[in-house]
Amino acid sequence: MTRPTVGLLYNPVSPLLIAQAPDLVEYLGVMPDRLWYDFGPNAQGRRFHRTLGAIDELRRCAEGRLTAGHGIGLSLPSAMPLDEAFVDAVAELAADIGFSWFSEHLSVFITPKGAVPNAQAGLGLPIAYDDEVYGIVAGKAARLRQALGCPIALENGAFFTPVPDPDMTEPQFLNRLHAEGRCETLLDLHNLYVNWRNGGETPEAYIAQLDPAAVIEIHLGGGDDFAGFYMDSHSSLTPEPVWETAFAHVAGFPNLRAITYEFQETYYEDLADGLIPELERMHELAETWAPRRRLAHAG
Amino acid sequence: MLADFQQALADLTASPELCMAVKIDPSLLMRRYQLTDREAGRLEGIVRHPGMACSCMVYRANRLAPLALNTPRLCKALGHDLRAVASDYWADHPQSNVHFYVEADRFCRFVRREIARGRSFGPEVGSALEIESAQVAAALRESHTEAA
Repeated sequence: MTRPTVGLLYNPVSPLLIAQAPDLVEYLGVMPDRLWYDFGPNAQGRRFHRTLGAIDELRRCAEGRLTAGHGIGLSLPSAMPLDEAFVDAVAELAADIGFSWFSEHLSVFITPKGAVPNAQAGLGLPIAYDDEVYGIVAGKAARLRQALGCPIALENGAFFTPVPDPDMTEPQFLNRLHAEGRCETLLDLHNLYVNWRNGGETPEAYIAQLDPAAVIEIHLGGGDDFAGFYMDSHSSLTPEPVWETAFAHVAGFPNLRAITYEFQETYYEDLADGLIPELERMHELAETWAPRRRLAHAG
Repeated sequence: MLADFQQALADLTASPELCMAVKIDPSLLMRRYQLTDREAGRLEGIVRHPGMACSCMVYRANRLAPLALNTPRLCKALGHDLRAVASDYWADHPQSNVHFYVEADRFCRFVRREIARGRSFGPEVGSALEIESAQVAAALRESHTEAA
């Protein structure tokens, strides 16, 4: 296995950044939800209308690069059936672009008693880490893998209010999914930082519980302070403590395939001067992966 | 049951008023939702968590985003009334629509309905609503990018 690739969560300004530094972007995480208009299951006629120009541009950017899908709309932990029409639309895009894996969030975005599946809760809600939710997530992850024909990963969330009295911790939940062959982990290091800044456990304590073999992608990113809390707003470069966590642990994830920086495109002008140095530092991070892996094998 | 637990959590996140009511009278949860004792206890713990205020703020910010992006003049014209109108709109439409133009179009229709019912707003609201509701409707039509 080669070292992990370095890349971006694709957004409308990504082509500008790629044009400036094509060799620094080896990987693109693609959000299908941002490449179509979803008129809902009760739409008259076709439900999903693709933003055709944006998809053409994505195809150009994806040429010669590794790509994976990163969804938000399936809400796997929701206590409701999987939105099969949505799965079909993701599968179509996955085949078109050639996703090597597909990730979703370990959060509830769609509430079970909503009138229509494309209506969202307005926020990623925390889940109860217990057997009941595990059964729902594991079953849907298996179905998704079957439909897309590629590995599935779930991303740890940024929460202000964890659900109390869990049967297992979030890392234990993710470890079980991995151990039972249901899905892998997308470890968002900035989300760990957000949770710690808002009173949760340290990133070190979290990672110590996580099976490192489960991690196939890590996310970097930045946020800002608001009303006494630290937000996962994707509005800044990766904070130094997140880099420290990344450099301390990347070499320990033997199946890591991508290191991804995510930012919100409305902050592009504010971030512009820092983005290429950010990508360069990500490459330095990726280079730390191989030596320790070789040492581990040598040992 | 889990479905009610998740719905209750969504409802609480959308409503600081409901959070306050549950803090005062936790039995409200059992009256409104079918919950196990453990689920009710979990929700009560979440409501009392200091981070719940932040969840409620982020919820409102996320729901305001499609309105501020697509009807900025209307939002500005509503001025101090925006808070109350948006809250009423969210109470009337408790779930956001992922299609931003659908969400903005729905908001414009809601404001128009409120005016028709006799609710009065600032002098600029009518013209802002006319201009931006037409723009949103056009964008919504154009978002049908593929044949039915």
